Amino acid sequence: MTAALRTPTARVERVVTDADFLKFREFFYRKTGIHFDENKRYFVDKRLVDRMEATGAASFREYFIALRFESQGLELQHLVNTMTVNETYFLREAYQFDCMSNNLLDELVTRKRGNEPLRIWSIPSSTGEEPYSIAMHLLERWPGIHRHDVEILSSDIDTQVLDAAQRGIYSARSVANLPKPWLDRYFTRRGDHEWAISRELVAAVDFTRVNLSDPADTQRFRDIDLIFCRNLLIYFDDVSRRAAAEAMYDALSPGGFICLGHSESMSRISALYRVRRFADAMVYQKPQTGEAP
Amino acid sequence: MTAARILVVDDAATIRMYHRKLLGDAGWQTDEAINGLEAVEKVIAAGAQRPFDLYVVDVNMPKLDGYGFVRELRRLPASQQAPVMMVSTEAQLQDASTAQDAGANCYLVKPTRPAELVLTAALLLGDAEAAALAAAAHPIAGVAR
Amino acid sequence: MALRKTPAAPLHAIQPRQHGRDLLGLQQQLTDADPRQRRLAARDLAACPDAALSLGQALAHETDASVREALFNSLGHLASDAAVQALLPLLRTEDAGLRNGAIEALAAMPQQVAPCMDRLLLDPDPDVRIFTVNLMGELRHADVPRWLQQVLRHEAHINVVAAALEVLAEVGSASDLPALRSVRERFGDDAFIQFATDIAVSRIEAS
Repeated sequence: MTAALRTPTARVERVVTDADFLKFREFFYRKTGIHFDENKRYFVDKRLVDRMEATGAASFREYFIALRFESQGLELQHLVNTMTVNETYFLREAYQFDCMSNNLLDELVTRKRGNEPLRIWSIPSSTGEEPYSIAMHLLERWPGIHRHDVEILSSDIDTQVLDAAQRGIYSARSVANLPKPWLDRYFTRRGDHEWAISRELVAAVDFTRVNLSDPADTQRFRDIDLIFCRNLLIYFDDVSRRAAAEAMYDALSPGGFICLGHSESMSRISALYRVRRFADAMVYQKPQTGEAP
Repeated sequence: MTAARILVVDDAATIRMYHRKLLGDAGWQTDEAINGLEAVEKVIAAGAQRPFDLYVVDVNMPKLDGYGFVRELRRLPASQQAPVMMVSTEAQLQDASTAQDAGANCYLVKPTRPAELVLTAALLLGDAEAAALAAAAHPIAGVAR
Repeated sequence: MALRKTPAAPLHAIQPRQHGRDLLGLQQQLTDADPRQRRLAARDLAACPDAALSLGQALAHETDASVREALFNSLGHLASDAAVQALLPLLRTEDAGLRNGAIEALAAMPQQVAPCMDRLLLDPDPDVRIFTVNLMGELRHADVPRWLQQVLRHEAHINVVAAALEVLAEVGSASDLPALRSVRERFGDDAFIQFATDIAVSRIEAS
């Protein structure tokens, strides 16, 4: 048995200097709109060093050059992934659901004729926390639910995740944000650590597999009144992101709203939407027909 | 008395740094945006509670340029209105009337000179003390057009 | 009234089209009086490799912002030499929206736009040179540092140099230091150039 010959690895200096941090911060802000304060140094530096190790870069400089010039922009996506919190749970960023029930829906119904339902599209559905949160919020917090029909559509590119959404089993961590009455009303406990959402709510959401960058998938979505697209666009490259924004714009009815994640903005994506500020949240609106953006 | 708040809008990070440093050294608070769209969002988010007192806005920016921003700004509530200083390259200066039509108050040519930027800002803010200091520091200051 | 489990047709049936989805049909649809039809045509043309010329021509006179965006996105999707040729003329337009849309679309096709860069940097119009440097700031191409050095060494117009310093603050390296020193000398009395040069130099020296 021969022992593997080991060449001593070169000592690598994976540190992030103050100048490195400033350079990175500017680049990241330009690309994503996310700004890191000085007090986020530890958070940022640790993740940069992790990415340097993952990509085999011997220094920040080497890593940054690769990040900046890599033709596919894949490392930037990895970086965004690691710099953002991707956890999903019920009533995440609940202020947007409050905005929906307190303001958006009431405005949207004024444009509805006859018995036309309101149509809400939640994308990505992930494992279902978002569309089910919307459903519960409508039932619990929007008085109009007794006078108007609402359709909830929810989509994801990942069929496994869609399957999980339809199974509807959740951890204690996932349901932690729910008011106890909602938990009691819409879930049954299974064992010590799991909660099953009611089959009625599962039936109330229409799940579809959709690739937001594929026009063949998205062209079927029309006359949508409200889109929740939170913490998804930020992970796309520039071209795909514009394609996704384009698809959602065409999916929306005139006057329809779209809610992005709290650190996301249309400012780097599309100039077609109007910014509307409500008491609970700032949202984007597709202009009404004839109105300039 | 709280310091005046200035929103610096420019797609170039170096220019944002430069303007923020000069205006910050003169004693004012600053915030920034990389284009007209982000600027509109910041103005709307600031609302009536913490409005800006002055806007220093680049003309040429992607998504929504300086003129577009000023047009959007002038449609917002009175509490968010404030003077607008536009900054442009020499060639773009030909759009002088466009700037005024859009609702800007004056404009400077890029690259801005420190005295000119600070003095003009002080005048637009009605900050007599800062204006006097700026004028004294650089006896021959550019005149805002 | 309540949550409706999706009924008959939650998703739209594919609408019959007034024009065929072939190149000719879509080109026709690009001239429709209704901007929504023009926008849909612009989107669909992303799938037609021969559409670059039509998309570029449409941009030259399209005033609706939503159609413009779709035209640019589709050219960006095509990312061909023809798309580059369709976009380049827009660098000269007075319409800032068109200009910046072109830069954004070109930025996503570095391999196709690279052969044009040397020529653009020598354009007699300083604005075109500024926009070319702006484009460089978004371009993922190994020649960016070389093009920047070219600008620093030979460019006389202060705003083109300023644009280059902006990009250099991000991608500068030790080999740029001599050129930066020469910039400092050439524009010794401009406070901004001094500031920007200092930033670029300090970033390079600290890395």
